[in-house]
Amino acid sequence: MVSAGELLLLAGLVLAAAATGGFYQTNHLVTAPQTTQFLEIGSNFKATCMIVNTTEVTADDLYWKLSETTVSKELYTKLNESAISVTVPVTSVQSEWLFCRAKKGKSPYVFLNTGKFMYGVLLKKGYPPGKPENVFCVAVQEKTTISSTFRCDWATVGRQTSDVPTKYTLNVVVIHIRNYSVSTEGTHAQVEFVDTYPHFMTLEIWVEAHNMLGKIESERITQDANSFVKTNPPSDIKVISEKYFPTSPLMNWTQPINKSYGKLKYEIRFCTSGSPNWTYVPKGDIATDIQSFRLQSLQPYTEYITQVRCQLGHWSDWSGTTMKTAEDRPTSKPDLWRTIAEVDGKNERRVQFISKDPVFANGRIITFDIKIQEQKNDNLQWDTILVNGSESSDGQRVITVLKDMLLADLRPVRLCVTANNSVGTSPMASLFISAKGREDPPVKGLKVWSAEGKLWLQWTPPNGPDLSEYVVEWVSGEQTDWQRENKNTRLTAIKGNLEGFVRYTVSVYSIYSGRIGKPASKEAYLKEGAPLEGPVVRLNDKPGRNEAELGWVEIPLHRQRGFIVNYTINYTGGGETHEVTVPGNTVSYTLKSLSSNTKYDTWINASTVRGSAQSSTHSFTTLKYAPGEVESIVVGVSLGFMFVVLMTMLLCLYKKDVIKENVWPRIPNPGESTIGNWSPDYPLKAETPKENCLSGISVQDVDVCDGKSVFEEDKACLPLKKDKYLSEEHSSGIGGSSCMSSPRQSVSDSDEGSDMADTTASTVQYSSVVASNGYKGQTPNPHPQQAVFSRSESTQPLLDSEENPDMMIQESSRQSQGFKQENPAEIHLLEMDQQQEEEGVESLGFCPLDEESEQTKPSEGQSAASSYMSQREGYRPQ
Amino acid sequence: MNGHVKSMHFQRFMETATTLLSLLLVMAFDSSRTVAASRNQQCGDYVQKSLKLSRLLQKESVDLIKTYKASQGEMSELFCKVSVNNVPDPNISGLEPSEKIASIYTHLQEFFPHFEWVYEQQTDLQLPTSPLLSDLRRFTAGSRNLAYLIKPFYQSLFPNVPLPEGGPTTLPPPQNIFQQKVYGCVVLKTFKELLSNVSRELRSLKSQVCRRRTHTNTLF
Repeated sequence: MVSAGELLLLAGLVLAAAATGGFYQTNHLVTAPQTTQFLEIGSNFKATCMIVNTTEVTADDLYWKLSETTVSKELYTKLNESAISVTVPVTSVQSEWLFCRAKKGKSPYVFLNTGKFMYGVLLKKGYPPGKPENVFCVAVQEKTTISSTFRCDWATVGRQTSDVPTKYTLNVVVIHIRNYSVSTEGTHAQVEFVDTYPHFMTLEIWVEAHNMLGKIESERITQDANSFVKTNPPSDIKVISEKYFPTSPLMNWTQPINKSYGKLKYEIRFCTSGSPNWTYVPKGDIATDIQSFRLQSLQPYTEYITQVRCQLGHWSDWSGTTMKTAEDRPTSKPDLWRTIAEVDGKNERRVQFISKDPVFANGRIITFDIKIQEQKNDNLQWDTILVNGSESSDGQRVITVLKDMLLADLRPVRLCVTANNSVGTSPMASLFISAKGREDPPVKGLKVWSAEGKLWLQWTPPNGPDLSEYVVEWVSGEQTDWQRENKNTRLTAIKGNLEGFVRYTVSVYSIYSGRIGKPASKEAYLKEGAPLEGPVVRLNDKPGRNEAELGWVEIPLHRQRGFIVNYTINYTGGGETHEVTVPGNTVSYTLKSLSSNTKYDTWINASTVRGSAQSSTHSFTTLKYAPGEVESIVVGVSLGFMFVVLMTMLLCLYKKDVIKENVWPRIPNPGESTIGNWSPDYPLKAETPKENCLSGISVQDVDVCDGKSVFEEDKACLPLKKDKYLSEEHSSGIGGSSCMSSPRQSVSDSDEGSDMADTTASTVQYSSVVASNGYKGQTPNPHPQQAVFSRSESTQPLLDSEENPDMMIQESSRQSQGFKQENPAEIHLLEMDQQQEEEGVESLGFCPLDEESEQTKPSEGQSAASSYMSQREGYRPQ
Repeated sequence: MNGHVKSMHFQRFMETATTLLSLLLVMAFDSSRTVAASRNQQCGDYVQKSLKLSRLLQKESVDLIKTYKASQGEMSELFCKVSVNNVPDPNISGLEPSEKIASIYTHLQEFFPHFEWVYEQQTDLQLPTSPLLSDLRRFTAGSRNLAYLIKPFYQSLFPNVPLPEGGPTTLPPPQNIFQQKVYGCVVLKTFKELLSNVSRELRSLKSQVCRRRTHTNTLF
């Protein structure tokens, strides 16, 4: 449906086209509206396109393009055959061109005259202006009058676009006189009143915001012109503190502007220096148009900042000064406390009484008067303690040491103190220290933590009666400070100036009517940080082969800057790095499973919750052998060796015969044979040996002794053996091995009977030769054969020949011959041997005795000697 | 019976009419009281503001005369003691409030040409940066503002009586410098007297006019 309005618009377009025929003679399309359009974002825009002066195209051939996009045909409305309209939503902020165009392919004319079949309108988008708010106008004081410059500020509301900017017009009307108006694009403007500020006139003020999409006014302000005046603040402010009114100083000032401009209201405030909290004097207490005011309820001897401002229209800025009130008598007790230190070896305590100035000292404390009462009825004089007079720079009250005394553990004491300034004396404070061990119970469940830059404490009250207050004490090194809390306090923060990274011992004492109870204590940091240094690392002992014990010295307290939560031990060696974490209360640790003979570098990180610090590196080298290992090896080897030697000795001892038999087999010396010699050339006749044959026989026995003499250990046994031998001297049987046995005796022994045979069981009876009729039928001796017993004294094993009876007989005959026909050279040799043997016997210490005995008893051996043939002749050839 | 019924109807009608009339009277009284209160308030405001401004101008006139004397060189004290013709009369005339207010207004108006003339003369005599010139401009503007306040005050009190604008002011003939200096000082001093008189009259008017009208309204 085409509305009547659209038809009217169409008619208007036609008329307009006719009126501006020049342009349309060259252009066949025209839109309505034709010029740039300012549109509100979010609205719809409707445009109409009309065909003029041509029949080449119809409305059906027209289309709309918004920027580079063809508008959907659904948004078109065909008005008639030569006109079409479109409604497009206004969305984006950017300005756009809306073109009405004709299809090119309709006819060659259209194709060749594209420019004539195109018409566009520029769409600029924006928002309608917002209502200005918070209009604030002011005229400030210049010298003694008010400036004629009137400035207003306001706040904008709503959005703007660069295509549709908003402008503001400030309107100021001096009622009945003149209107002022000024425009700006900003949010403030000022007007200049003609010649003077319109005092006592009524002003009407408003701000108008306007742009291409509309205009809107702010709320209108209609007020007296003086209500916009902002004067200078009062000047020449003086505060006079009078001696007799220390709490009520008088404040004076000069008005900034003449009273004829209007009555000025005032506002007064004050605070102590450094305090952020102002105390305002009630407005009702301050009259208008005044130039002095007496402040009330200030603290004596306190520095105050006082300020005042005035108001004609707007409040002026503040102006003020700093002053100090006069001194007054102290109105509160001194803050009395004590420190107690144990005295070693004595049942005494070192008590130091300390005090802070009263909270309301109201002046500089000059002296303290103290009285110590050790007995209930003591009525001592007051002592006066002079105060140095130094005041703390950080606002904290100065601590004065009042008294240092030694107090017996079981003795209580009471101290009374008053503080004096130049005006008067404070109320008395007292402190009672109970006997040691008789203090009242402490608070329970004390917790200390850091938060919001303060140390907070929380506790549960004790069960004791008469609880009057608490004292919170914090100690760091030699520094002690305290504060008092009332008996209902359960949670508080330390108000003193605590430092970060410093360990404090925080204690809560319950005070029972002046008596100090037992404290509950905790250690705490206001702020923790990483330690400033690591611990000093060392080895507690020499490193072992596979382990080393590390020790370290705890970091000095002031360098810890926090609680050490753990130590991390790092050690590297042999290309590997290891890490071990131990609790913070550990001061030594044994590194295990180390490689031997390896250099290790070790260091320790001490950690707090905020970080850690590393110690210097300590190096050590593990041992190649564990301590005692070498000694163990040496002892083991030695013991083994000794065992082997011992076993060998024992073996030798017990198997000496076997060894001797195997190692030194006895080769029988025929020349030493004791078998009776016989020779066909010599009659078998017993000859008295010209020389003792003992030497020739004893050689054999000495050999045995020599063999024994190799081992020193056996020397000990020799006396025993000697005894044995000696005891056997007369009892040795045939073949006895005793070196003491003589052939003669042996023979005689054998003769004496066979009961002695057992004693010679250990010896080898080489032979028992019976002189027979000769070898195999030989008859060497024509004389009737005389049975001769001859026996070899040799302990050597029998030779084969001896074992062979045939041979034995021969050998025996030879020996017999040998004895008779002994070669002088051989005899000499034998003598030498004998001598040597004698020496050897002498060395054993017993052989010479026998020899001597034998030598000294030649007659005794007569019979035996007859049985032995002289062997000096040696062997005779057979 | 009928007569009794008619009588009762009439009685009821009379009661209703009386009630309505009373209501109308109360409404009219309240309305007039509100209007009167509003007018009284307006009256008081104008008087109050005019009075304050006249006091301020009085104070400024004192300062201005000091500045004027200081800027005129030697013998400045003597200038202000000489009498000069053609300076408007500072006295307020009239017996009725309307006449007094009209007199205040016309007297103020009469002085403005003289201020302009003094300003022109002093512009020739002083340096452009002289504080006297700016003070003169400010004082003149303030005086005009006072006149602007008196006019609505008068109109608020006497809306149907036109405010006379005053006759033409006669400015002095050409003067030499001495005469100019004397003339300027006399104008300022005379105007100061006028302001003093205005303040006094306004104080009396404040108590007379505004209260009287309130009283009148109350009586009404």
